[in-house]
Amino acid sequence: MTPRRVRQWLVVACVCALGALALMTWQIIDPTVWPVMVAMSLGQVLGTASFAAFGYVVLADYRARHRADVASDPRPIERH
Amino acid sequence: MTLLSSPLAIMELGCAALSAIILVVYLVFRPPLVHATKVWLLMGLGVLPIGAAFSGNIQGFEATKERAFCGSCHVMALHAQDSNDPTSGSLASRHARNAMFGSENCYSCHADYGMFGTIVTKAGGLRHVWLYLTEYRTKSVAYDKQNIHLLDADKMNGNCMQCHSTRDPLWQKVPDHKASLPDDRADRLGCASEGCHGLAHPFFRAPGEERTVQR
Repeated sequence: MTPRRVRQWLVVACVCALGALALMTWQIIDPTVWPVMVAMSLGQVLGTASFAAFGYVVLADYRARHRADVASDPRPIERH
Repeated sequence: MTLLSSPLAIMELGCAALSAIILVVYLVFRPPLVHATKVWLLMGLGVLPIGAAFSGNIQGFEATKERAFCGSCHVMALHAQDSNDPTSGSLASRHARNAMFGSENCYSCHADYGMFGTIVTKAGGLRHVWLYLTEYRTKSVAYDKQNIHLLDADKMNGNCMQCHSTRDPLWQKVPDHKASLPDDRADRLGCASEGCHGLAHPFFRAPGEERTVQR
């Protein structure tokens, strides 16, 4: 994943999380039917999606670093 | 309940505010994804929003028990008005004046009892939301008054008996209670029926009454 792509994913995750937080706060300020229903459905979906996107980016970053480490390691692979 | 009197509401607002600050700072400065950035984003996208969701959801579930919540659909406006009326003599209003659970009187009387009572009641509430969306959302209160009917009072004695056990000597001293005890416990005679304590709500059709307004 390129740094530009990483940034795009994280921006989407941040925007989704801000939306989810806004919905969850709306239900606290105005505890009527629609705010509560929307917060407990759409709010949860957005929040979970943002966290999943963050997890995906971190995992992809970890794998890229691991691949880079392996590629740059000059030691030969030992075979028994 | 005011907003600041609930620790859960304060926790939700605190977590949401801290998380929002972290996310906005990231969006403004867009730092590279180094270890420190990951830790901050873990807080902003994971730990704090989960805290906000946890406290917000519990607070939301608590809010669904409040009469203000039940009355926020327009079809329930008359019921809520009646419950809020200190001069009303309806069963609903008399229970609303109870200091122990008055603000949650809708939930207290309509919630099913038992281990899964809350889940069954919430599932029933979702059915009401569905009916509201598909049938009653665009209808007038006059239409609703004629077409929504009360649950058969004979089937609701179990809800009354959550508090009024029918075993208290004072309750059994009342001659009418004494005479109707077997029928009350067997759901053959409704506590909230005509001739006993009357319908819980003064509006809408009584059970069995025909519709007077056509769709």
